[in-house]
Amino acid sequence: MAALETEVLVIGGGSTGVGVARDAAMRGFETVLVERRDLADGTTGRYHGLLHSGGRYAVKDPEAARECIVENLILRRIASDCIEDSGGLFVATPWDDPAFGDAFLEGCRASGVPVEEIAPSEALRREPRLHPEISRAFTVPDGALDPWKLVWSCARSAQEHGARILLYHRVVGLERDGNRVSGAVVSDELTGEELRIHADVVVNAAGAWAGEIAESAGCRVNVVPGKGIMIAMNHRLVHTVLNRCKPPADGDILVPIRTVCVIGTTDMRVVHPDELEVTQPEVDQMLDEGEKLVPGFREARALRVWIGARPLFSPEEVEDTREVSRSHALLDHRTRDGVDGFVTITGGKTTTFRLMAEAAVDAVCAQLGVERPCRTQEEPLPDSEDGRYYELGSRLRAREPVPQSEEIICECELVTRSRLEEAMKRRRTANLDDLRRTLRLGMGPCQGGFCIYRATGILHAVERLDHDAANAALLSFLQERWKGVHPVLYGDQLRQARLDDWIFQGLLGVQHLPT
Amino acid sequence: MTHDTIVIGAGLAGLTAALRLADEGQRVLVVARGVGSTHLAPATIDVLGFADEGVESPERALQQFTDAHPSHPYARLSAELIAAGIDWFKARLPAFGYRGGLEENVLLPTAVGVAKPSAVVPETMARGDLRAGGRFVFVGLKGLKDFYPAYLAENLGRVSAVSARAIEVAPPLGGEADVGSLGFARRFEEPAFWDAVVGELAGQLGPDERVGFPAVLGIRNAGEVWRELETRLERSVFEVATLPPSVSGIRLFEAMTDALRQAGGRILIGSPVVGTETENGRVEGVVAQAAARPTTHRARSFVLASGGLAAGGIHVDSYGKIREAVFDLALSGLPAANGRPPFLPTYLEEHPLDRVGVPVDDLLRPTDADGRPQYVNLHAAGATIAGAVPWREASGNGLSLATGYAAAEAILKGHE
Repeated sequence: MAALETEVLVIGGGSTGVGVARDAAMRGFETVLVERRDLADGTTGRYHGLLHSGGRYAVKDPEAARECIVENLILRRIASDCIEDSGGLFVATPWDDPAFGDAFLEGCRASGVPVEEIAPSEALRREPRLHPEISRAFTVPDGALDPWKLVWSCARSAQEHGARILLYHRVVGLERDGNRVSGAVVSDELTGEELRIHADVVVNAAGAWAGEIAESAGCRVNVVPGKGIMIAMNHRLVHTVLNRCKPPADGDILVPIRTVCVIGTTDMRVVHPDELEVTQPEVDQMLDEGEKLVPGFREARALRVWIGARPLFSPEEVEDTREVSRSHALLDHRTRDGVDGFVTITGGKTTTFRLMAEAAVDAVCAQLGVERPCRTQEEPLPDSEDGRYYELGSRLRAREPVPQSEEIICECELVTRSRLEEAMKRRRTANLDDLRRTLRLGMGPCQGGFCIYRATGILHAVERLDHDAANAALLSFLQERWKGVHPVLYGDQLRQARLDDWIFQGLLGVQHLPT
Repeated sequence: MTHDTIVIGAGLAGLTAALRLADEGQRVLVVARGVGSTHLAPATIDVLGFADEGVESPERALQQFTDAHPSHPYARLSAELIAAGIDWFKARLPAFGYRGGLEENVLLPTAVGVAKPSAVVPETMARGDLRAGGRFVFVGLKGLKDFYPAYLAENLGRVSAVSARAIEVAPPLGGEADVGSLGFARRFEEPAFWDAVVGELAGQLGPDERVGFPAVLGIRNAGEVWRELETRLERSVFEVATLPPSVSGIRLFEAMTDALRQAGGRILIGSPVVGTETENGRVEGVVAQAAARPTTHRARSFVLASGGLAAGGIHVDSYGKIREAVFDLALSGLPAANGRPPFLPTYLEEHPLDRVGVPVDDLLRPTDADGRPQYVNLHAAGATIAGAVPWREASGNGLSLATGYAAAEAILKGHE
């Protein structure tokens, strides 16, 4: 078995894991990160994209609210290119008690969340699709945070500081050497080969999967996976993050992000984070709640539905996962379990990923008996150096002056051929779904109906894939897409899906491809 | 003005019914929300390509197929009627030089290199027939993102007795990099352009190779371009259908609408039907949206060819309620029980909703739950009719042609 040595081994390629890898690398530690699939393939890539102001937690969880606003302001500084400064509104719809607004105002002020009450007429002027009978409205500095851009920027920065990132490397098990964790055996999922990684400290940043990882080191970590459903709508029905002004519940957030808006979410305890299924009542619940914020919501096109598994750390068994704090949990297994060289960081949320990483690497320093200050709150991520926020339409702005300079492969998301080819070469992946997350390829209204045949042909040429591998890439993309679209097929999006059936099955005959 | 027949929908089914009726001297009006299937699907007439397995002869397979699928639209039609429709179509559009018939399917390469059965094909595509094997070369055009000949050829090489390879040429595009199928089709109408293509291919072709181009060889004069290429290249040349917009289908739309106008028919595109007038079991008129205001059109007979789920002829709302969009006709092929979920988790299988549509009698009149016609003078054609999964059966244009023709025949008999 091949082996490699490192100071810090990070397990998990979500926002927390890449945040830890970046922080550790910036503090000069030799760092390796392993992820069983692609970056942000787990919970990070399956959330609604809300950059929390903290308003959501202001009444019930002031500690989480405080963390959110502090990190919100830091991320605006260091990750501006990943953020759309949409602003946020909390509104009391006819279904919400206007009196909650008073508790909300008080909670925000106590937690340091900038808040201002505005007249409902002013809120409607800003967001004309809002329910016309809202009784109160408050502005907060919510935003939209692109999770893929964030994770990839962090990963790039970590690599620039010397970290190694091993994708499609699944942890087979942690290795114990007496009372310390000495590393891990990982399996390269693409080649099937195993690799032994020796590390001075292992950081378990596996999120909802952290319990399993800890267990393989003989430590018990109780992470409750909380299932949350989200639906992306075809249009930016709103340009401001909309929240219901009431105690947090299901389907009460609508986030405009990139070319879509996302409604979410639910919170239901599940047995295992890999076993998540969308049910029709959940879909209907989201659409009905959407109607309360934006009347006519059900007439809009639903593009895709997905579910994420929140990692909610709980020292005790709990029934209602919403009762668990959204604050993160740092477990130093030396003090907690008498196991050296092992730290678990879980819970939390993407908005506070940097803080979680800082806490984890502080614990690493303590274990190694060194003092190295964290610098992640100062140094901007790649592409965010100029401090400019992402703006909707930036891709169009880049294309418009030169419309015929090259082919646009994905018209919905304006992905050009050179961008696609460059990503294929850089990513060394034959997985079109990985490219989808990297470039937003196939994320628009046609859900890859046109661009996926093109991308397969280009992948075949650029990566010199044989036809079997190219066919497998095409077919697995179609199946993966179907998983997300079939529970929400109705209206014009169903027409679109049927056109896609005609293209792939009628015209191309992909079901008859040799595989 | 009262028409003899009003056709709702301008896809192949609607245009077939309209043209057939206009040829017989009827005053025909076509009202349609937009252009239809022609702009999306190739101009091949696929009658039946796949039953349990690949179909070699639709003529021989149809009886067994309709026995196995008694609710399929083909079960409403006699083999003679389907054959008559094809004969009429081939004779009516001579410029396409359609080849073939029900006796045997040809196998044409798709743009991913699958061999797809088709019954009747335009002459510009016919020499792509893979059944006899041989050597094929597929020509890619730099700037056409909708055709990948190397990928196609590599898959096709798996079909026995076929050897296939790819070439890319880069004819001048006047500084444009993203031209698209229609852009190439317009360029191919210029002799200087295909001359440049021929020049690039000179010396690169084997003596016995057949040369496949993406189906972009002109819109109005495709037959001429194709013949010129065959002459100049001294080889068999054929087109391969690729992603929408379908250039070959657009040729069909242009030819059929031209013929319809010449036969005295009227066509209103961009005029969706927003209301109906019915009385005593008859349709008296339809209200169609027009530029100024909705206008009522009346006729003795009506053909509903508004399409299925893809075209919006059948609509599903966010509560899962399924509705025929114009007349709110009874539907069959609905998913069982409360109707949800209509789709299964595996993409490439048949889904419970796939065969939804309007049930019809032997005159293709939509029927109610008791099998009686809902309106005595309303006929359905094309994807509106329940019971088929044409994208899986390779039967799309075949069904449209056969049912459009049959609806017209039923109307002609009724008006005698």
